[in-house]
Amino acid sequence: MEREQKKSNLINYLRTIQRPDFPLADIEGDLSLVESGLIDSLALLQIISYLEQTYGIDFREKGIDPGELGSVNAILEFIERETAA
Amino acid sequence: MFFDSQPGSITELFAGRSWTSREIILRVGARIQYFQRVGLRGGDRVFVQYGNKLEFFVDLLAVWYLGASLVPIDSRLTAYEIENLARAVMPRFMLIDSAADAATLAGLTTAGVQVIDVRDWLASGDDRPGLSPIPCRANLDDEALILFTSGSTGIPKGVVHTHRSLRARWLSLRECLGVQAYRRTLCLLPTHFGHGLICNSLFPWLAGQDLVIAPPFNTAALMQLGAVIDEHKITFLSSVPSMWGLTLKASKPPQSKTLRRVHCGSAPLSGHLWRQIQEWAGTNEVFNAYGITETGSWVAGTSVGTFVPQDGLVGVPWGAVIKILKGAGAGTPFDPDAQCRAEEPGYIWLNTPALMRGYYGQPGLTDQVISGGWFITGDIGLVDQRGWLYLKGREREEINKGGTKIYPADIDAVVERFDRTKEVCVFAQADPLYGQSVAMAIVLRDDATTTIRDLRDWMTRHLAEFKMPTRWYSVASLPRNSRGKISRKDVAELCAQKQPLDLQSILKAK
Repeated sequence: MEREQKKSNLINYLRTIQRPDFPLADIEGDLSLVESGLIDSLALLQIISYLEQTYGIDFREKGIDPGELGSVNAILEFIERETAA
Repeated sequence: MFFDSQPGSITELFAGRSWTSREIILRVGARIQYFQRVGLRGGDRVFVQYGNKLEFFVDLLAVWYLGASLVPIDSRLTAYEIENLARAVMPRFMLIDSAADAATLAGLTTAGVQVIDVRDWLASGDDRPGLSPIPCRANLDDEALILFTSGSTGIPKGVVHTHRSLRARWLSLRECLGVQAYRRTLCLLPTHFGHGLICNSLFPWLAGQDLVIAPPFNTAALMQLGAVIDEHKITFLSSVPSMWGLTLKASKPPQSKTLRRVHCGSAPLSGHLWRQIQEWAGTNEVFNAYGITETGSWVAGTSVGTFVPQDGLVGVPWGAVIKILKGAGAGTPFDPDAQCRAEEPGYIWLNTPALMRGYYGQPGLTDQVISGGWFITGDIGLVDQRGWLYLKGREREEINKGGTKIYPADIDAVVERFDRTKEVCVFAQADPLYGQSVAMAIVLRDDATTTIRDLRDWMTRHLAEFKMPTRWYSVASLPRNSRGKISRKDVAELCAQKQPLDLQSILKAK
């Protein structure tokens, strides 16, 4: 899957868990998802579940730095790293 | 010091700051002198808008030393909510350590509250540590803490604890649990929360154990909890069930074997999650802790030796007598003849020396829940043949969102004041992440998208974000029972058959 497709899929997923009044289109790729208010902190669990189901990543085995899920770009880079391995 | 024991050290998890017991005592001394200079006196109430940091604990002791009481405020509250709480409790001071917005300052000034930005004092260089020049002014039966559990938008329900009730809680816990397992305690919970403050933090810390404090529900701490435990040699932490979803998915277990005990409370703990926590933590001493702010939080738990985690299992009392009665009407006297048999479910009544004095300024409300020294919890449970308590449900109206209690009436009160609302009913919905989430059924004078947007704006100005309903249902009318009352359960059932409003599309069209 191309990066743009992964990005589009990720953004579509984020739309399902984001705060309703937040303009997702305005988010820069590097803006913090939690600090910007787009999602609340425990919603990272939903992103982890999405990545597990979509890309088969086992977080429990690897452990994770929260910064790796901090922004749209960080998540995309994380996916590329993990799926390339 | 005010207390007969030395507090332990405190370390801030991410800021890297750490004060020893000695440094804390000297800083409390400096703070006492400062508070005296600004005119703080015995009997005053002090709002504190910051928590989960070194200064919070120092200020708590300094305020207590001078015979005043502390009111920790959730920093997420809106200006409207803070002003409402201030009007109810009339604090003389509010301590802030970050820029307060103009609306908050204006509201507090109108309510007659003096706002002190403690950063100004620190910047003045007048914060040299030293011993207090005066003896402690506090008495055992003085108000010590007021913790708000609901009513931020209506009539606030502030739980008043005295030094006597708090000390009763800590001494009971010490007797039932000892302090060894709490040698290095981690607090991940908010300090405006009875569970986080009274039990997770103050119980071990004031017994001389070391405290490591994190920002509340901090994602980084939860996702790296195993490494945090190893790095800080943590022996104990408390938690709420929803925190564990993130930790069990994202954090490697601790490796260093320092962790001896974990408590989990403030929301139902399933047997399945319980076993997962035991496995992750590497200890069987994962206790389901049953607690209520009114009883100084933890009042029973699973310190029973060998046990098998089960849905609803709590365990044995910690400094309380627990009785299961057939009835629990508001203000009804305790009737020993109405006790349930072993294994028979009924209403949980508690008798504990750690019981609150009452709800601040609400004697009628207090009389509804305290009867002859017994606290009517509103929870349903049973005690088995071994004397172990099991929780079976609750009759209280609160919505338990990941351990944070949200009162639907607080949200109703804000929505009802919106000029185009005809009726509203806020209710709980099951949520895979939080256990429960907040939903709302509304009857509006019109369904125009501008009305929905205006309502959302109105609510945002008056309600903290975490209380905002995530699903809105527009209905023609609300179902009522034969007495004309709206039942939240019936409304929830009605809405379960309907689609919620597409808020994203409505708000995007702005």
